[in-house]
Amino acid sequence: MSDSGLYIEERKLVKRWNGPLPALANLAVILVLFYGTWWIFQDPRGIMRMYTPYVGYMWCRWILIMLIWVAYIFNFWPFKRTWLEKTHPVLKGFILTAFSVAIFLGVLKLFFNGFLGNFAIAYFSPAQLTKLGLTEFYAEEYAAQAILMFAAIASWLSPAWVVAAENAPWQKLGQPVRGFSVLMLTFFMSVLVYFVTMHPHMGILFDPWQKYAAIAPPYWQNFANTVHGNFHIAWIMCATVIVWMYETIWERYPFKLIKTDWLRRLTAFFGIFIIAVSLSFFLYYAQELAWGPAVRGTRRLMAPDWRWLHVGEIAIFWLVPALFMYLYCDNAPKRFSTPMNVFLRTVISIAAAAVIYIVYYKTSHLFLGTQKGFSHPQQFPMIPMIWLINIFLINSWFMDSWPGWKLVPSEHTVHAPAEEMQWTAKFKLGLVTGTALGVALYFAVVASLPVLTSLIKVE
Amino acid sequence: MSDSKISRRDFVKGALTGVGLGALASMGVFSYSPMRNIFLPEIVRKQQDFGVCKSVKVTNISETSWFENSALMGDIKGAGGLLVNQYVYNWPPFGNGKGLAKGSYADGMAMIKEYIPHDLEKAWAIVEKNSVHPENAGGFAALVEMEEMDGTKHKYLLDTGWSYKWMDESFKREGIDKMLQNGEIEALIISHEHFDHFWGFPVAMKYAPNIPVYIPEGFYEEGLQYIKDSGHKGTLTTLKKGLNQIKSGMATYVFDVPIICRVFGEQSLYFNVKDLGLVSVTGCCHQGIIQFADTAYKELKYENDKMYGIYGGLHISPFEDWDPKYDDLVISLGKWGFERVGCNHCTGLLTARKFIDQGYNVVEGTARFRSKSKVYLGNGDKIGFGVDV
Repeated sequence: MSDSGLYIEERKLVKRWNGPLPALANLAVILVLFYGTWWIFQDPRGIMRMYTPYVGYMWCRWILIMLIWVAYIFNFWPFKRTWLEKTHPVLKGFILTAFSVAIFLGVLKLFFNGFLGNFAIAYFSPAQLTKLGLTEFYAEEYAAQAILMFAAIASWLSPAWVVAAENAPWQKLGQPVRGFSVLMLTFFMSVLVYFVTMHPHMGILFDPWQKYAAIAPPYWQNFANTVHGNFHIAWIMCATVIVWMYETIWERYPFKLIKTDWLRRLTAFFGIFIIAVSLSFFLYYAQELAWGPAVRGTRRLMAPDWRWLHVGEIAIFWLVPALFMYLYCDNAPKRFSTPMNVFLRTVISIAAAAVIYIVYYKTSHLFLGTQKGFSHPQQFPMIPMIWLINIFLINSWFMDSWPGWKLVPSEHTVHAPAEEMQWTAKFKLGLVTGTALGVALYFAVVASLPVLTSLIKVE
Repeated sequence: MSDSKISRRDFVKGALTGVGLGALASMGVFSYSPMRNIFLPEIVRKQQDFGVCKSVKVTNISETSWFENSALMGDIKGAGGLLVNQYVYNWPPFGNGKGLAKGSYADGMAMIKEYIPHDLEKAWAIVEKNSVHPENAGGFAALVEMEEMDGTKHKYLLDTGWSYKWMDESFKREGIDKMLQNGEIEALIISHEHFDHFWGFPVAMKYAPNIPVYIPEGFYEEGLQYIKDSGHKGTLTTLKKGLNQIKSGMATYVFDVPIICRVFGEQSLYFNVKDLGLVSVTGCCHQGIIQFADTAYKELKYENDKMYGIYGGLHISPFEDWDPKYDDLVISLGKWGFERVGCNHCTGLLTARKFIDQGYNVVEGTARFRSKSKVYLGNGDKIGFGVDV
C-alpha cells in the first residue's frame, strides 16, 4: 500500500480478540446488515422493493461509487480527522453512509435527472421519457439503466486513478483540491467512455434507432456478436475488479517493480485495462466451454449479450472473497515473498469465488426473493454481490471494522519498506519458465472446464 | 542467506510472476480468437424422429392479455417491479380488497371458491369488487387443430387466458365452449403459469372439468392448488424438461426457464408438417424463439430440414418496451428461414413492425374483437400450415 495520506491506510486498527473471532464477528454483523438492508430496500417481497430490477441496480452501484469518492478520492473531506478518530464507529458508519446516500441523491436528481435529462439527453430523465409516451415503469427503468452504466464506468476509473495513477499529478495537494481534481478528471473520462460504450446502446433502446444521435447499430456488433452494451459491461466490470485486486491482494504487484513514477503509473493504469479485457475474453470463453457457443438472438443462457453480462457477474463473485481476505483476514497469507503471497491469495480467492458462485446459484432463490437459474431476464447477481461489497466497505472504511477491530491512537504510519525485487538472471529465467508454465496452466484449465462446469447444476 | 538460496528464491519469484503473465497473455490472445473453437465440442444433431403430421391450424381465441399497457405497468411499478410474485399483485381473480401488492392466492380464492367453476358470473362480480384493474384483464388462448397423415383430426386448447368474463365471451365467440362440452377438444395444454395464460382456467373447467391437462414442470404451489380449486377432475400430467411427444408429428418441449412475476418453466409445441417443415406454436415463448428453433435444430428431425412457420407470442416486447438484445433477435431471425410468422400477443406490435421492416413474412390480422392492429394476427384470426384457412 502506498503512502497516500488516506485515512483508511493511516489509521491503526487492532483486533479486539485473538484468532479468527474478529473476522467471524464482523462477518456475522455484515450478513445481518446485508440481509436486513436487502429486505428493506431490495427484496421483491420486502418493503421498498427497489429490485425492479434497474432502480435497485442503479442504487447499489452508485452507493459503491459514493463510498469510493468519500473514502478514496476525498479522504473523508469535509469530515475532520479528529471526528473520524473520536466518533463511535456505529454512529460514524450511519452518518457517513447517510452522507453518501445524500450526495448520490443530489447527483441523481440534480445532475442526471434534472440537468442532463432536461437539457441534454432525454433518457436520463424519467419525466422526459414519460412525456414522450413511455410508461412510467419503463421510463424509470431506462433512465436507471443509463445512470447505472455511468456508475459502472466510474467504478473502474475513479479508484484506478487513485490506485494505479497514484493521484498524479495532484498527489501532493491537500483536500478538497486533490479530491475535486481527481473527481473532475475521472468524471470527464467516465463521460468519454460512457459515450463510446453505453450511449450507442441507449441509442438503439428506442424506436426508431436514434441514428443521428448515436452510432446505430453499435460499432461492436460484429466483434461481440451482439448490439447490446453488455459487451462493454464485461470488460468494465473486470476492470473494476482488477483495480481492487491490484490494490488489495496483489499489493500493487507487479507494476510496483517499476521504479520510474510516470512509467509505473502509466503501465499500471493501462495494464489493469489489458488484464481486464483478457479476463473478460477468458470468462466469455469459459461459458462457451461450459454451455456451448452462444447463439445470437437467443435469450438468457445462450445469448451473447447475457454471456457478456455474466462475465462481469463472475468477476464480481471473485471480488467478494478477495476483499474479505484483505479487509478481515489481514490479507493472509503474508509470510512468503510478494509473488508467492500474491499467487496464493489469487488461487485461494478464485477457489473461494467458485464456491460462492455455486452456493449462490444453488441457494440464493431461497432467501433473496429471486428465482433459481443462471439466467433470468430481470435478475442481476451483481446487485446482491455489490450490495454485500458495499456493506463490507461501509463496515471497514466507515466503521473501522467494528466490532472485531477498534481504532487506537497512532502517529502517522510509516509503511515497511517494500521488498526489494531485483531483475537478476535467475529472476528472468524464472520469468520465462513461469510464462511457459502459465500458458500450459491456461490450456490445462481450458481443457478441464467442460468437465468441471458440467458438475455445477442449479436444479 | 546463501547465494544459491537467493538465486532459488529469485527463480521462484520470477516463475510465479511468469505464471500470471503467461496465463493472462493466453487469456487475452487465445480466448476470443478463432482458434478457441478447437476446444469447443462439435454440435451433434440428435435428429430425434417425432413423426410427421399433415397440417396444423391455429385459431386465435384471444391474444389480448391486457387492454391497457399503462394500467398493467402502473400496477407492476406500484407493486415493486417484475420480480414480484404474481399472486401478490391483487390482480383478478385473486383480489382480496386490500389493494395493490397486498394480495395472496389463499385470500383471493377464499372469496370465490364456492362459485367456481359453475357460476363464474357471480365469481367475477366478486372479483371485480376486490381486485386491482379487473377491467384490464384479457387473456391468451388458442385452438390448435392438427391433422394426422391418415386424416384424423385432433383439437387442443392451448392456454385458458385470464379474465373469466373475457375468456368466456371469447370461447363463445369461437365456439370453444361447445367443443369443450362435447369433448371435441382432447386436452388442455397450459404453456406456463402466468396470469394471462392460466388464471382463466376455471372457464375451461366450466365446460370440461374432465379434460386431460398438461402443464410444464415448475408450477408453484398456488398454481397447482388453483387447478384443484377450479374443479378439475381429469388427469393432470406434469411434463418434464425436454421433449414430450403428444401425437405423431406433434410434441411439446419443456424449458426450465425462470420467468418474470415469479413463474418458472414453459412448454411450447413443435409440429412436423409433411413437405413443409417445422412449425412452432408457442404461448409466450419465454425461452426465446431462436432458442426454441435452435433446440429443434439440435434435437429434432423434421421435413426438409426446414423451419417453416411460427404461431404465437414470442415474448419480445410484451409491454412495448425494448432492449438492444431484442434487436439481436430481429436481426438474426431471418437466418433461420421461417417462411410464415404468425405472431401476436407478447411479441409486441413494436417487434412485429421491426420484423416487417426486416422483410420477414409476418401474417397480417384483421384487428377485430379489441385487437389493436392489423400488423399481426388478432383475436378471431386463423392461420394454417399445410391447410388453407
